[in-house]
Amino acid sequence: MINTTVVGSYPKPPSGKKPGASIPFELRRVLRSLEKGEASVEDLHQAQDRLVTEVISEQEEAGVDVVTDGHVRWDDLVTPFASHMAGIELSGLLRYFDNNVYYRRPVCVGPVEWRGPVSVDAWRYADSVATKPVKAVIPGPLTIARLSLDDHYSSHEKFVLALARVLAQEAFELEAAGARIIQIDEPALLDAPEDLPLARRALGAVVAELKLPQVVLATYFSDAKRLGADLFDMPADVFHLDFVSGPENEELISLIPPESKLQAGVLDSRNTLLESTSDVGAFVHRLFEEFGADRLSLAPSAGLEFLPRDKARSKLERLTQIARRAGE
Amino acid sequence: MSGIDLPGAGLWTTSVGSLPKPPYLTRARAKYARNEIARAELRELERQATREWIDFQNSIDTDVVVDGEQYRGDMVAFFAEELPGLEIGGLVRAYGNRYYRKPVATGPVGREHAVTVEWWEFAQSLTDKPVKGMLTGPYTICDWSFDEHYGNRRAFVLDVARAIRDEALDLEAAGARFIQIDEPAASTRMDEFSLVIEAMEIITAPLRAHTITHICYGDFHDAYPKMLDIPVDQIDLELANSDYALLQSFGEHPFTRYLGLGVSDVHSHVLEPVETMVEGIRRALKLLPADKLFVDPDCGLKTRTVEEAQAKLTNIKKAVDIVRAES
Repeated sequence: MINTTVVGSYPKPPSGKKPGASIPFELRRVLRSLEKGEASVEDLHQAQDRLVTEVISEQEEAGVDVVTDGHVRWDDLVTPFASHMAGIELSGLLRYFDNNVYYRRPVCVGPVEWRGPVSVDAWRYADSVATKPVKAVIPGPLTIARLSLDDHYSSHEKFVLALARVLAQEAFELEAAGARIIQIDEPALLDAPEDLPLARRALGAVVAELKLPQVVLATYFSDAKRLGADLFDMPADVFHLDFVSGPENEELISLIPPESKLQAGVLDSRNTLLESTSDVGAFVHRLFEEFGADRLSLAPSAGLEFLPRDKARSKLERLTQIARRAGE
Repeated sequence: MSGIDLPGAGLWTTSVGSLPKPPYLTRARAKYARNEIARAELRELERQATREWIDFQNSIDTDVVVDGEQYRGDMVAFFAEELPGLEIGGLVRAYGNRYYRKPVATGPVGREHAVTVEWWEFAQSLTDKPVKGMLTGPYTICDWSFDEHYGNRRAFVLDVARAIRDEALDLEAAGARFIQIDEPAASTRMDEFSLVIEAMEIITAPLRAHTITHICYGDFHDAYPKMLDIPVDQIDLELANSDYALLQSFGEHPFTRYLGLGVSDVHSHVLEPVETMVEGIRRALKLLPADKLFVDPDCGLKTRTVEEAQAKLTNIKKAVDIVRAES
């Protein structure tokens, strides 16, 4: 039986086709009230807790084996971690990779330092409401650096390694809280093959103290062809590859060393068209023959927040259906 | 291109496109969505808001006027609602706590009837100044929609381009001398920039009007000077929000078009002082002559309040008057 998982994010709004004005769903309403001073941070946390419970049960009902909290407390993966560090401020809106989604660009204005965990309480809460294992997801140091502006270190290398030291603390605390799987997302690595040696050192620093059984390194939105076999020298147990936005990743399959596992992003998390079970099933069957169920898990190509809620759920149902059939 | 035929020696003022909806219209749109008021009632309020914005632009002597898009929700959804083959889909997040209904291509995209011409004619009937025809570019419409039909980005983009071309031709036939085709998504993927150009060529090739495109949110250092290959007469750029950093690139590769110079950050509540705008215009004048420059906000102002938007437009006009008096 092939395991299934998600990459991380999940849509926050509920399903619904009502045209015209947007549905003022609970989280959105509370965030607005908070801005106007009409709600408290406690109100926000309660709304977030309810939404986390909802999206976890949705993943579990769809049959997903390893779930996340859907990142529903965050706008994107990078800014909550970056803005929590000493030395970093947020600035103007920039496009998030090639998506029609915008994030506030972090600016490094002083030495980057740990100011306590960002994601540990959230992981604990998710774990308490889930029946399946909850994967902890953090951004990689290279991706934070490349999405930020450095006005302090004036050395890309120093900036990346400083970020890595802070993220190492976060990863350590997540493990101490009980996380057994940590995924580190480095989508920015795909556009920066020249940074691969630096990214390897930085990831090494992040995971150095960890004893947990699984470190997943995730890349998505494109292919890792320019990184080649060197990608698999990164200190990770599992590699997530996006076979939808990066079909060229198929050329890398044979380069994955026998001790490494593949988390294969096989369904498009950025388009609503629901893939046919047979087309994707044929590809998954090939992967299954190459890796066996022990070294293979299936996932959407990237975070699901790019889809409306009902479509995200359909994708997960299709994913688990494909996994069941291919593993038969 | 038949010459822009505007009074004065340049530094003409305009707006990028959208202007904020007054609170009474926002409320009416919500009511309409809940089926609490009729379409005709909403339409009357949209006309009232359009009239108010034209009156405002007349009052500050704007050179090229916009209708302010009071009848549009967002720049892609508006066309998705009107063009067959596109439908409005579910909610997805744009940034922060803001969400939009992302369109979906469910069949071949075409155009059955004109979608902006009536509004353009209405706006033009309220002013002696030229009113800009405002269209969303095909690359942006496709990039900001899901695709359940084509499975091929080029085929999708080129079909939409032909629909937008038909709309542009109708605007021109109605008398529009300025037609803007916005492509904020143009700089998203540099490996598809040739598709942006190919699609724009379909639209602008048969036009005689002064054509403009607006680009934003991108890594301009990758997109410049390549953007000069987009077949339009004028390129409109957001410059204030990056402290005019892009102007440096013009030193290396001369800018060869009319420039829409964005001098006010539309995502900031802060009202830039007139002096800051004057400084920005002077910096641009070192690289381009006044008769190649239009001055406007960085982007559409619809996310600001009416008061903030009017204050920004008023300051732009003051800044332009100061610089005009210098020459």
